[in-house]
Amino acid sequence: MTTAQRPSADDPRILLDQEAGVFEPVPPYPPRTEREAEFYTLGDGQLFLNMGPQHPSTHGVLRVVLKIDGENVVDLDPVLGYLHRGVEKLAENADYHQVISQVDPLEYVSSLFNEWGAVLSFEKLLDVEVPRRAEYIRVLSAELNRIASHALFMGWMALDLGGLTPILWSFIERDEIVEMLASLTGQRMLFNYFRIGGVNGDLNHDFMSRLGNWMSRASEQIEANQGLLNENEIFVRRMRGLGPIDTKTALRMCFTGPNLRATGVPFDIRRAHPYSVYPELDFDIPTRVEGDCLARYLLRVDEVKQSLRIIDQCLHQMPDGPVIAKLPRLLRPRPGRAYSAVESPRGQYATYVVSDGTDQPFRMRIHDPSYIHLQSVGLLMQGNLIADTMAIMASLDPIMGGVDK
Amino acid sequence: MTVVARTWNRLTLPGKVIFTVVPLLIALTAGLLITLVLVGPFLVDFIAANLPIARFVVAATVILLITVPTAFLIIYMEMKGIALMNLRIGPDRVGPYGSLLSVVHGLKVLMKEDFTPTGADPIVFTWAPVVVYLTSVMTLLVIPFAPDGLVAQNFNLGLLYFFAISGLSVVGLLMGGWASFNKYSLLGGIRSAAQVVSYEIPLVLSVVGVIMLAGTMDLTVIVQNQAGWFTDWYIWQQPLAVVIFFIAATAEANRTPFDLTEADSEIVAGFATEYSGMRFGFFFFAEYVNVFIISALTVTLFLGGWNAPVAWPEQWAVNLSLDPGSLGIGLLLIVLIAPLVLTLLFATPLWLISSRIKTWQALLGGFVLANLFIVGLVVGVGYIGFAWVAGLLWFMLKTYVLVFTFVWMRGTLPRVRIDQLMNFAWKWLMELAFLNIFVTAGAIILIEYLRRS
Amino acid sequence: MDRRFKARLEAQFGDRLSGPVRQRHDQTEIRIRPGDVVPVMTELHDNPIFRFEFLADLAGVDTGEVMQAVYHLWSDTTPDWLRVIADGLSRDDPRVPSVTFLWPGAEWMEREAYDMFGMIFEGNRDLRRIYMPPEYTSFPLRKDFTLADDAARSPGGGFRHMEQTHVPANTPSTVRRLPGSRQLPSVK
Repeated sequence: MTTAQRPSADDPRILLDQEAGVFEPVPPYPPRTEREAEFYTLGDGQLFLNMGPQHPSTHGVLRVVLKIDGENVVDLDPVLGYLHRGVEKLAENADYHQVISQVDPLEYVSSLFNEWGAVLSFEKLLDVEVPRRAEYIRVLSAELNRIASHALFMGWMALDLGGLTPILWSFIERDEIVEMLASLTGQRMLFNYFRIGGVNGDLNHDFMSRLGNWMSRASEQIEANQGLLNENEIFVRRMRGLGPIDTKTALRMCFTGPNLRATGVPFDIRRAHPYSVYPELDFDIPTRVEGDCLARYLLRVDEVKQSLRIIDQCLHQMPDGPVIAKLPRLLRPRPGRAYSAVESPRGQYATYVVSDGTDQPFRMRIHDPSYIHLQSVGLLMQGNLIADTMAIMASLDPIMGGVDK
Repeated sequence: MTVVARTWNRLTLPGKVIFTVVPLLIALTAGLLITLVLVGPFLVDFIAANLPIARFVVAATVILLITVPTAFLIIYMEMKGIALMNLRIGPDRVGPYGSLLSVVHGLKVLMKEDFTPTGADPIVFTWAPVVVYLTSVMTLLVIPFAPDGLVAQNFNLGLLYFFAISGLSVVGLLMGGWASFNKYSLLGGIRSAAQVVSYEIPLVLSVVGVIMLAGTMDLTVIVQNQAGWFTDWYIWQQPLAVVIFFIAATAEANRTPFDLTEADSEIVAGFATEYSGMRFGFFFFAEYVNVFIISALTVTLFLGGWNAPVAWPEQWAVNLSLDPGSLGIGLLLIVLIAPLVLTLLFATPLWLISSRIKTWQALLGGFVLANLFIVGLVVGVGYIGFAWVAGLLWFMLKTYVLVFTFVWMRGTLPRVRIDQLMNFAWKWLMELAFLNIFVTAGAIILIEYLRRS
Repeated sequence: MDRRFKARLEAQFGDRLSGPVRQRHDQTEIRIRPGDVVPVMTELHDNPIFRFEFLADLAGVDTGEVMQAVYHLWSDTTPDWLRVIADGLSRDDPRVPSVTFLWPGAEWMEREAYDMFGMIFEGNRDLRRIYMPPEYTSFPLRKDFTLADDAARSPGGGFRHMEQTHVPANTPSTVRRLPGSRQLPSVK
């Protein structure tokens, strides 16, 4: 079991496929587990359909093998690893400052949360006190990033259901925020902005004026974008009751974030295990009880509104002061372990660091919500149609950069 | 080495080409002339004896040729229209406002590699796009574009012929889906079969009311019955049928929100997944020609066809007894001088209006305006003088409004799911179509009864 | 730091803990033997005084001497993260019971730990590689793993002389070890 068997030339399936000249998504070696054996055995009238890794709507390079019976999906098997970069291994060979830029491309639409997760655990390891202004800047920029991420989600959701326009409308909002963050951090996508003990730079005038402009019309604009979908009969009919999951199953499947809150659990790391200055900020945790795709979608809309509230409070409560703590250039934490979790737009993004006393992490574990949610697609897909595969997958909002690490 | 060979070697490359091509052309022309003189009278006799066949051949060729610019126009409309709805700029590079981009797309498609995948059935694979495209063109044969016989082939079962042929397109889609040897193609082909066959039923049932009202399946007669004011159009007598027909026709043409056969987020490109080059181009063109045809048929059946929405009052009839021949040599002078005079005439105010406008700019503007004026004049005279010009204008205007509706729907709506699609056809549209038939029949009987008594 | 939680843990699992309960910042850490994973986790999950219904993370750790399976749990009965370390898995044959009977969502986390460390989770129905290709033979996050070594050994990598000659000898001195970790006799 520890070593996979090599494909053997006398495996009948390989020869059959070569003769037919068609790619069958069946692995060319004997099944390694019971589950694999069960999945790759076709029933009567069933066939395999290989989706991805090059497919218009797999959100990156996900490959899914569907076992279908007509239009019905009987079972599916996600095949990962097409974007695997081994960030955990890379982090073991980089010092603590360098790790921050290594984790940036994980969930590339919400990079600040990746940095935050890493930075938070390093600070615990090093017992660093972060200046309050830096904490507020972190919250401010991260909530902006959350809105950008959710805007992208809403567009994708519609695109996977065949709507062309919403993604371009929501990209207007996203681009505005990304430009704003670019003037703050210097990058549009992989910000590399958070530092151990603070942030890289203070708020600048360009950022503040852009933010002020945007905040004055943000909620109206978001409402307008929502009007495209929320009142669309086809969209709502397709989403309602699709891929439902109940609270108990969601907890057992380790759901977090909006996907868990859509089943009625008000679990939000910002409140459940507060970090940064979130205890000082006033915001609600929206929940819904249906647990279906529509609930997951609408919940994110509500979250955007809460994020706007948080940004508003940040701007009003932000104290003056330094934005980064004074730290030595070379960090050598004493041996120990630290775990920290942040509430990323997709759920609990956690980092677990083990230090051995050197300037490089001994082990860095990254717990990515996309990865956890993606494994439930098979569960949610029970008895649905091919068309719903992408809808359900999109409603869980996985980012393949995060899934494949 | 002979004299001829030595002379030939001394020639430059253009000389070689000219010395080869010119004698060939002369020989060909002479041969053609001699053939015409010998065969000509017999040919004329033959055409005169078989005039309907000759007319049909010419008309079919013209229809076949018309479909290409029509598809180009609709593709451009769609690219630009959806871009504007998406708050994008859309095509803006080739031609004015990017209007030639679809033509360039067409050329690109021609130049691409024509690829047949391993395992595909080459004959069926090649013929599938031909079948799809030809069915589209063949349905266009019976659409009456304008009065005075501007219809490729008019016959009394036109509507029945239309549905019979348009139902054939599913054969092409199935052929493409099956022969591609790809599961996505297969799913797309089977989806299209299920979809087209299901929606054929409400589509045909919804026009039964019109057939009962008109008493014929001849499309020309149906249009003539709707002459007069726009209140005479069948849309007012058959409002339910219009809705059913339009929805079913959208599904029939595989357009959003019923474009499940080529749902790119699910089955990549459906039956067209494995196609490339011009074979894909045929599928692509056929889709847009279908949009045009569906719009044209909706206009013909429900929106009065070529009829203007307002009847021109008899007492205002303009008699344009224009006989160009009466002008004699003056006609030639007018043709020569008019553009020059009009250009100067339109350039003068531009030139005077501001000193910042340079003379050449004013002249250019004057030339453009003069041309627009002349075109407007010609069209205006044609509109008043010839019924078919007016009819064609109205027909195209209405058709393209409907085509724009299709584009609009594509920019706005997400896609329905296959089970919702089937449910909608069998549980709603078909019942409503039957209801429409019974209500129409009852109303006709009632009115007849009231008239008699 | 939740002192009362520590007391509760010690009272409940006194004999099962293989080390002292440690607390730092917002984390409480207990160490158990791999054989005790099932009873301890079940107790933590089901007992109303703990109610750890939420598995926050499952990580493998190779200390250089032993393997560890590290679980992070969250509950509303305590403000701390609970870290449960199943300590002392042998590096030759790391075996630990699966927790998929409590959290089916742990399946992929266990698959990842298997893929990266070769840890066998007994009871996981689908323990195959998830990131690395199926014909891969190494476990990349183990401390004795070097990339060049594997490139020469992998079937697609071919035979690269430069890497073969320049790869540092895989002696125990080059392997990073976590201070304080100890080698337990492997179970065979």
